[in-house]
Amino acid sequence: MFPRHSRSFVAKASLLAGTGLLALAVGCGRDQVSHFRVPKEAVADHPDHPGHEEHAQGMPPATGDMPAPPRPTGQGSLKWSLPKGWSEVPGEGMRFATFKSPVPGKNETTVVVLPGPAGGELANVNRWRGQIGLGPIDETTLAAARVVVKSKAGDLNVYDFTSQGQAKSRMVAGLISTPDGNTWFLKLTGDAGPVAKAKPDFMRILESLRLD
Amino acid sequence: MIKTLASRTWAFFKSFQLTIVLLALLMLLVVFCTLAQVELGTAGAVNAYMRSFFVWHQFSFLPFPIPTFPGGGLVGLMLTLNLIAKTLDIQRTWTKAGMWLVHAGLVILFAGEFVAGLMQVDTNLSIEVGQTVNYVQSYKNMELAVIDTTDPTWDEVYSVPDTLLAKGGAIAIPGTPITLNVKRYFPNSELSNLPPGAQPSLATAGIGPGVSVVERPTVTNDNEMNTGSVFVEPVAGGRSYGIWLASMAIGAPQSFTHEGRTYALSMRLRRQYLPYSFTLKQFRHDVYPGTDIPKNFSSLVQVVNPSQKESREVLIYMNQPLRYEGKTFYQASFGKNDTLSVLSVVENPGWLLPYVSCVLVSLGLLVHFAIVLRRSLKRRQDKKEG
Repeated sequence: MFPRHSRSFVAKASLLAGTGLLALAVGCGRDQVSHFRVPKEAVADHPDHPGHEEHAQGMPPATGDMPAPPRPTGQGSLKWSLPKGWSEVPGEGMRFATFKSPVPGKNETTVVVLPGPAGGELANVNRWRGQIGLGPIDETTLAAARVVVKSKAGDLNVYDFTSQGQAKSRMVAGLISTPDGNTWFLKLTGDAGPVAKAKPDFMRILESLRLD
Repeated sequence: MIKTLASRTWAFFKSFQLTIVLLALLMLLVVFCTLAQVELGTAGAVNAYMRSFFVWHQFSFLPFPIPTFPGGGLVGLMLTLNLIAKTLDIQRTWTKAGMWLVHAGLVILFAGEFVAGLMQVDTNLSIEVGQTVNYVQSYKNMELAVIDTTDPTWDEVYSVPDTLLAKGGAIAIPGTPITLNVKRYFPNSELSNLPPGAQPSLATAGIGPGVSVVERPTVTNDNEMNTGSVFVEPVAGGRSYGIWLASMAIGAPQSFTHEGRTYALSMRLRRQYLPYSFTLKQFRHDVYPGTDIPKNFSSLVQVVNPSQKESREVLIYMNQPLRYEGKTFYQASFGKNDTLSVLSVVENPGWLLPYVSCVLVSLGLLVHFAIVLRRSLKRRQDKKEG
């Protein structure tokens, strides 16, 4: 027997269907180019995405702040000598190489190589600063922050930045262009204390650079 | 004939047997979904089993997946219809008022789940002590951000969602003279150097020409992330700026300049900018004495909302989220020696519905109990008198 209140049933069913269609319409709207005007970010690349190895579980892994290294072969490849106690882990995924120092605590050295100027020195330095929560700098400040290290492969421009937060992060990074047009990035990062201890050895690695 | 069919359909929808079958199916779905989480991850399993109308399975002997079991969407819809039919079947008398309220409460509960399934947006906000953040980001979805970085104080961010990149073709960026021609999109990929003698890259500009991109199957597991990559050709004023490779795996800055304006290209997790910002003032991570077992996490944040002329401190801790401007911020994770706090951000327009439902069901049961009690007492009284 069809109920006496079939009209209200139809009304309710229409309401339900209407809600569903409205929701679908809202859902479809997400498939468009959107525009935001936002203040310039102090942090160019988010320092850490949730789910980094050291983070709590249940989060996606880190991405984004690792530059892609197209690995050069043959001519133009850099070589280095490691100080006593240091070890090299071959390039995995996006890295050309990773160095482990004997210094306890959080510190790591990475080697990445990119074709061409890879966005330029200033943009990369500002990206590194962003990774430890520092704001961008301009060309003048860049020149003042630059230390030139001489090596057999040529001169390296080296930068040393320490974050301002409670647990200070520090980054010592050098970049050098090789004759084949690639740019090499060598970066020592970690907590300020261990990085300070590992820095003298890191600088020796930079000085030991030579071409293949 | 039509009348018979209508009444049969009506009888089918209001039948108690249907309720039992649907509840049994729902229980099975919960079991399957729980087991599937091992392979698919929480979100993947919920999407495959609960938020779909059918559970699809790809058999090796078939070229396309086929539906093998009703999904949570279909079972939920049928249960809702069953419930509505049953509710309408209840006599409209005061003695049934309690039952009406209980059924209405259940309908609202189901409606709430539908709204959540269709409209809920899950994102996160990760913030370091002292840092100010004005956006939330997706866990999985990506975007190609075209950022006009010309202005020294502002960035104009144009976000192209991955779903649009997947469709390919030409994408006009409104408000700019740029059109992006999507040459190839990879939902998941692996990047490496271009080995000598390999086929040249599709890219002609930026760092792309030296990079080889290999497509990988997409992943849904909680701990895995897709590395989305795309080859795009920006065209402006009839001029091509070459083909660029943008990828989640590329952190190096890449930009081009058109008529004095510099545009940066960046593939990243999809962001939603907020009209307010959060500054993390303090993060606390308490453990049970003598163990590493977390007892409590809390984030003290300064919420600054210029449009509301508001600036206030809020403490977000376990089971005590902040509900603000339609979003709920839960303490979810932490890192970097307890200086990074990760808040899970949920936007669900129907968040109030389960609460309304609970109130209605409780009220309905109380009313029904009162009516039955009154009737029972009256009967006993009549018996005594009789």
